[in-house]
Amino acid sequence: MKFTGMILAGVLSLFSTVAVSETFTFTAIPDEDESQLRTRFDKVAVYLSEQLGVEVKYIPVKSYSAAVTAFRNNQVQLAWFGGLSGVQARRLVPGSEAIAQGFEDQFFKSYIIAHHSTELAATDSFPVLNDYTFTFGSKDSTSGRLMPQYFIESNVGQSVDKIFKRIGFSGDHSRTISQVEAGVYQVGAVNYKVWDTAVEKGDVDTSKVNVIWQSPTYPDYQWTVHSGVDKTFGAGFKEKLTKTLIGMKDKDLLDSFPRESFVPASNSDYEPIERVAKAIGMLD
Amino acid sequence: MSQLYLIVQVNPDKMANTSSTRFFPFIGHWQRITLGLFLLVFVCWFFADTEVIALEPWAELGRMFTGFITPDFGATEYLLDAVWQTISFALLGICLGLLLGLPLALAYQHPLIAAICAFIRAIHEIFWALIFLQVFGLSPLTGILAIGLPYAATFARVFADILQQAPSQTLFTLPKGTDKLSALIYGRWMHMYPQIVAYIRYRFECALRSSAVLGFIGMPTLGFYLESAFRQGHYQQGGALLILFIVLIGTIRFWAKPLMLWVYLPLAVYFLPELPVFQPQLIWRFVSIDILPPMLQGQTLTTWFAVDTFIAVFDWAYELVRDQVWPGIVATLVLACCALGLTHVLTLIMLPLNTTLMMPKPVIILMRGINLILRSLPEYLLAFVFMLLLGPSMLPAIIALALHNSGLMVFLMARQSDDIIVPLTYRPRLDHYSYMVLPVIYPHFMGLLFYRFEVIIRETAILGMLGVMTLGFYVDSNFAEIRFSGALLLLMFTAGLNVLVDYTARKLLQAPRDKLQAC
Amino acid sequence: MLAVVDTDLGYGQKVILPNINLTLNPSEHVAILGPSGVGKTTLLHHLYQQLAEQTCLCSQAQGLVDNLSIYHNVFMGGLARHSRWYNMANLLLPFTQPQQQISVICQQLELNLPLQKKVSELSGGQRQRVALARALFQHQPVFMGDEPFSALDPLMGGRLLNLIKQSHQSVICVLHDAELALAHFDRIIVISAGKVALDTKANQLTLAHLSQHYVVTDESTLPHSAG
Repeated sequence: MKFTGMILAGVLSLFSTVAVSETFTFTAIPDEDESQLRTRFDKVAVYLSEQLGVEVKYIPVKSYSAAVTAFRNNQVQLAWFGGLSGVQARRLVPGSEAIAQGFEDQFFKSYIIAHHSTELAATDSFPVLNDYTFTFGSKDSTSGRLMPQYFIESNVGQSVDKIFKRIGFSGDHSRTISQVEAGVYQVGAVNYKVWDTAVEKGDVDTSKVNVIWQSPTYPDYQWTVHSGVDKTFGAGFKEKLTKTLIGMKDKDLLDSFPRESFVPASNSDYEPIERVAKAIGMLD
Repeated sequence: MSQLYLIVQVNPDKMANTSSTRFFPFIGHWQRITLGLFLLVFVCWFFADTEVIALEPWAELGRMFTGFITPDFGATEYLLDAVWQTISFALLGICLGLLLGLPLALAYQHPLIAAICAFIRAIHEIFWALIFLQVFGLSPLTGILAIGLPYAATFARVFADILQQAPSQTLFTLPKGTDKLSALIYGRWMHMYPQIVAYIRYRFECALRSSAVLGFIGMPTLGFYLESAFRQGHYQQGGALLILFIVLIGTIRFWAKPLMLWVYLPLAVYFLPELPVFQPQLIWRFVSIDILPPMLQGQTLTTWFAVDTFIAVFDWAYELVRDQVWPGIVATLVLACCALGLTHVLTLIMLPLNTTLMMPKPVIILMRGINLILRSLPEYLLAFVFMLLLGPSMLPAIIALALHNSGLMVFLMARQSDDIIVPLTYRPRLDHYSYMVLPVIYPHFMGLLFYRFEVIIRETAILGMLGVMTLGFYVDSNFAEIRFSGALLLLMFTAGLNVLVDYTARKLLQAPRDKLQAC
Repeated sequence: MLAVVDTDLGYGQKVILPNINLTLNPSEHVAILGPSGVGKTTLLHHLYQQLAEQTCLCSQAQGLVDNLSIYHNVFMGGLARHSRWYNMANLLLPFTQPQQQISVICQQLELNLPLQKKVSELSGGQRQRVALARALFQHQPVFMGDEPFSALDPLMGGRLLNLIKQSHQSVICVLHDAELALAHFDRIIVISAGKVALDTKANQLTLAHLSQHYVVTDESTLPHSAG
């Protein structure tokens, strides 16, 4: 009875509304505060569209791996990637280029934070972390997983699963902070910007959790553009795009990322990240 | 009395004899299965990591609580859009499921079809979506297929089970020469029509949950915002979304009237998010490159059979099995068994509180509300709350799975226990309940519980992200590291495990299996 | 029309009626009698399977589909006359022509109910008449019934039997009601103790003859013969 209709409409749905377009599409996941993504980045799309003279669309994604997939499938031609996801994406799409990075991303760093019960104090030398419980951020995060794991393993000389009593992946920097604050894990690794913002806003009780070590700096977030954009959108498009990104001065737009400004970047800036990812076995 | 006494006196040897051959004469089939289950759970609990860590969770829990009592419905962008897409993905997914599932149900007796269906069912919607994401990109098609495919496999099995109960006399009286399709529809399907509709209705509720969960990986449903909000500690926003979601599920029978579906369906199709251009080369890339082990990617077919390559592939697979598959299977089984045991106990405790045979109306209404919340809350949220309270062991995941599943079990069982006809002497007391109600519903209860085991195993996938290293955790890691071949190998093992569990449960419960019809 | 020669009848491996010999002639009205559980239904089902092409069967189990309307249940008798697509469409949206035909049949069977009423809401007697209507709607030359009037009062049973005799060349019925059999049928076959105990023209028989072979007034005929 009613199923026949349901089924029919179901079939129709699979073959309808296929949109073909020459829209320039981009995606971005900010490292802090993922609320109101579309509202915020639609403004960025409007800015890009005005400057580039093509239709620009923003697609929200949930994770770095989803962003990489969308980039690889040419569903987006431009993406705001983390350090590691950018490397992954450029390996999968030959000819794609890192064209700009955040000002802060030239010297990004991670913090190691600890619950007060560990009685670990801030040091310049690498702290002794053996047999504590430890949480990373999300699995594919550069500042919450890749670089901290690398620094810890190279400082201690052992793999992390030997060093710590228990390892978790909180999934997010904010969650790493709240979990270490609650003592669920004793120690954690976190993106420095997320931590600083949380402290500034008073979202974290620094008598319960605090920074005990900060990592050396490394390059992180960057804009990566697809190889074929000059062909699709006209010669010189890539250059124009780079200029437009670097020329983004509106604080309201920059706060969406959040970055102070954008500066030029190149693929070679991210060679250290690729080396590290290979060293800890996250890339083949 | 005295005669009986005499017999006992006269034949002490014989009595001793009987009790030695059968230690516990009152332990029947179900008692044995239950004790077996408890023993299994006890063993698993011993291996499970259930360490409780003393903590200071109150600041975070306080923030959560404040969020829930002051929900902010304005904090989510495109909120109505998300609600609508949650419904349309569920609706279209169910349609696709029916479209594929109905014919499959007819062929379900074929062992190959049954095995394929079990295999498809065994893979969580999220993982189907992650696979389709590679082929179709961020497209509504990905979401609809991710719901439709496993649901088709479930429909096939359940409909085949339901159809088996259809009386066969009708077929015998049909005129000679009736075509097969008409005979089948008129003579068999129509007998079970109400059960089939009831099951589809129930699956629609499940599909709403699945649709929301697909938001976790990027479909534009409520889960998209829900997951971000909770992950980042925006509890006012998260609370509002959760309340909305629970209300949506709790009011299904008011807004999902059969007639209304005729309106919803064209609208769902019309307002579907834009489909990206379909690229057939992505499918080709997926099957010719992505799913191959890394050392075979980009190699010509002839080099595949070189000894070196063969050894490399073997090493790759061996390493995966040793480091991920094996520990993953152990953790998954231990977690699922513990959760199963706890589900059993919790359901038995909650059931009397949910039946009109025991409780007055106000209590029932209150319990229905609690049930609704338990089964609507995504397990991973429950697990996160318990993680703050108990620390990062397996315990939060066990409790979360058990609470969620017992909520569902009670929801499905309460209807049955309410329909039981009790003698006039029945009083709503625990002893009366235990003598006259529980034995009647227990076989169905166990059947349902064992079916839930399959579901629990699948659901452990989602809890992987909380650091419980289940198979799902490793699958997710492989997807995050863009290692599709690894992910697929793990999924093969996950599915194999599920097929095995399903088979064992069926063997164990052959008899009550027939009466089972809910998910 | 049909000859059963030295045939063992039963179900599965179990033989109930060994070595049966019977000949059925066209245009005959045959009643099969005998104590319960002796194998009458087995015999009837065997006959049906031999003659299925030209026979409609009104079985004891009726085979009604509770969730369907009277109309659809009767229509099932006509499934073989239509294509599958016609049948499917009719399930969703009943066609007028069969509705009219079925309405006539139902009136003949004194079934004055709305056709869209569900069968699950009917009484035992009404259900039996829906089963009869389905058999009539098959438009076959041979009617076979397994106690098709057991839930009806004897007067109505007689009237409906006449109707069935009018619409079919041959009528073969398993009956409990010996009086009904003697009054309306040409030929009586009594099955007893695993064999054909009696096979004679009805006009040569009385109730007394029959009671030599089995207890005629068993539980189901008791109220009839008493009244």
